[in-house]
Amino acid sequence: MIAETHFATPEEIMALLDGEIPFERAEAIREHLDECPECRELAEVFRNGSAAISNWTVPVVLPHAEFEKRLAGVAHQTPARGPFPAGGQWLAFVVRRRWVMTAAVAVVLLAIAVTQSRRPAAPINMPVDMARTDSASAGDGLEFSKTRTKSSVTKRMAASQLAENPLQSADGELAPLDSNGLVSPEERLSQTDDQQTPMIARTVTLSIVVKDFGFSRTALDAILARHHGYAASLNASTQQNAARSLQASLRIPAGELNAAVAELKSLGQVENESQNGEEVTQQHADLVARLKNSRETEQRLQAILLQRTGKISDVLAVEQEIARVRGEIERMEAEQKSLEHRVDFAAIELSLAEEYKAQIGSPSPSISTRVHNALVAGYRSAIEGVVSLILFFAEYGPSGLIWLVVLAPLAWFLHRRWARATSVVS
Amino acid sequence: MSETRTNPASDEKLMLAFVQGFPEALNELYRRYQQPIHGFFRRRIADSSRAEELTQETFLALLGAANRYEPLALFRTYLYAIALKILRAYRRKAIFRAAFLGRSETISDLGRQDATETGLWIRRAIGQLEPTDREILLLREFEQLSYAEIADLLHLPINTVRSRLFRARIALRELLKPSPSPAANQVVTAAGSASGNPQIIAPKGQRA
Repeated sequence: MIAETHFATPEEIMALLDGEIPFERAEAIREHLDECPECRELAEVFRNGSAAISNWTVPVVLPHAEFEKRLAGVAHQTPARGPFPAGGQWLAFVVRRRWVMTAAVAVVLLAIAVTQSRRPAAPINMPVDMARTDSASAGDGLEFSKTRTKSSVTKRMAASQLAENPLQSADGELAPLDSNGLVSPEERLSQTDDQQTPMIARTVTLSIVVKDFGFSRTALDAILARHHGYAASLNASTQQNAARSLQASLRIPAGELNAAVAELKSLGQVENESQNGEEVTQQHADLVARLKNSRETEQRLQAILLQRTGKISDVLAVEQEIARVRGEIERMEAEQKSLEHRVDFAAIELSLAEEYKAQIGSPSPSISTRVHNALVAGYRSAIEGVVSLILFFAEYGPSGLIWLVVLAPLAWFLHRRWARATSVVS
Repeated sequence: MSETRTNPASDEKLMLAFVQGFPEALNELYRRYQQPIHGFFRRRIADSSRAEELTQETFLALLGAANRYEPLALFRTYLYAIALKILRAYRRKAIFRAAFLGRSETISDLGRQDATETGLWIRRAIGQLEPTDREILLLREFEQLSYAEIADLLHLPINTVRSRLFRARIALRELLKPSPSPAANQVVTAAGSASGNPQIIAPKGQRA
């Protein structure tokens, strides 16, 4: 109405009467009001409206003396707030100020994140000793790792010597014998525990994204050759119009693991890295002790066979026993070799992926083919959707119907009560 | 508004004084704002004793929140924000009671305790406004809050406050227009005689 043809909009006239218009604009609108009877009349309407509303009076209630006393009493008990809280109230002070809490939590999370990013966490099953070794090797590099591996190999050789010569310990002392003339595994362990460093089978998982896949592939071979390692398995995928990738399971001498991993990381951007160490010292010591006992058993059985004086059936029984013990020995020897190999050669599960750049000239299926494929896929999807819907109702329909019958009256009743309440309460 | 002191700076100083250990300052604030806050509740709740309870509850809430008080806005706005929260909580409880316990407060109760017919007439007209528009109108007309303060309280943009206030005033003018029925005419006449200005609404209604 007035808005299009007059200097001020009706809202502005209202705001002017409410004192909500800036001074200069207010002056201009006042001048317009003096000249424009229509706007003046509108202003009068607003004034009269406010005057009419002001007739709604509320009876004056004097301050409640009793409440005033109570308020004063509580106010006297309320401690004054200084710039900082008194001792013991710091927690409440911090909790009240949400920004302090938020900042504190953010700082703690940041600290944890930074700490975690700077020091890779030890895997759950990694022994404490292993974690310590890792952190130490971060500073010492290859040297520390090499020393440890050499030492462990030496000790393992000593343990093997003990297996060959059961009555002599690594430093030449005689071991105590059990009732059968054998060295028990516990005693063997006690002999070797204080001399052996932990035997740890290490596994590293690396996911790397490289820019030049061909160069990285060549570099991988060079790294393996340089560190005297080998690829236990290697799968390369070089599909057209797609990023090339390679999955390899590498074996690297444990002493050169850190250096090899560092070189592998330099091939590209590391997306994922995890290291794991499994301590097999106990397992190896048990195996060595059992192997030694089996060998001794075999020797005694051989001696019995050489001095055979009994029945032919007894001889056959001894031969059968020798065959069984020999089988056990061979199995344990294979297990021992496998275990030692796992310790000597760390495993690297490597995943190389190329940073793919789409080729401009890359062939793509024609539009008709794509439409056809889309239609077929859409048809299948629609059929599957319908079938799924039918199956869903077949499975849940009956029970849903029962719940509907049970709950619908209750929901209707609550809805009616709620609607009635909201209609009468302001 | 005549009920509210128009010296906000001193209100804030009083509140800060109370926070810093002068309990008498709170009593002074209570004396200043007891009536405005009571009016705030009385215009929104039928039960006068309940309005008084909520007024006291508001000051107790102010006392409880005193340690968190920061003079970022006018004390008046701060106090009305507390009152508004208490009112909303009361309404939620009232709806719950009405829905599940069968106790309800009706609009007709709102006018029962008013002394004048004008109050009833105005109150009924205001009661027909859309809730947010009504709240804005009440905060402006009776609590005399500025547009910015209302926007702050109701979490609305200031332009929305202005346009809704305009809408509420126009709607109220329509609602206060005399209806052709004799009963309505009687109300208008009574209202005019009570307010002392019988021509206020009728001529403007004809213009619209």
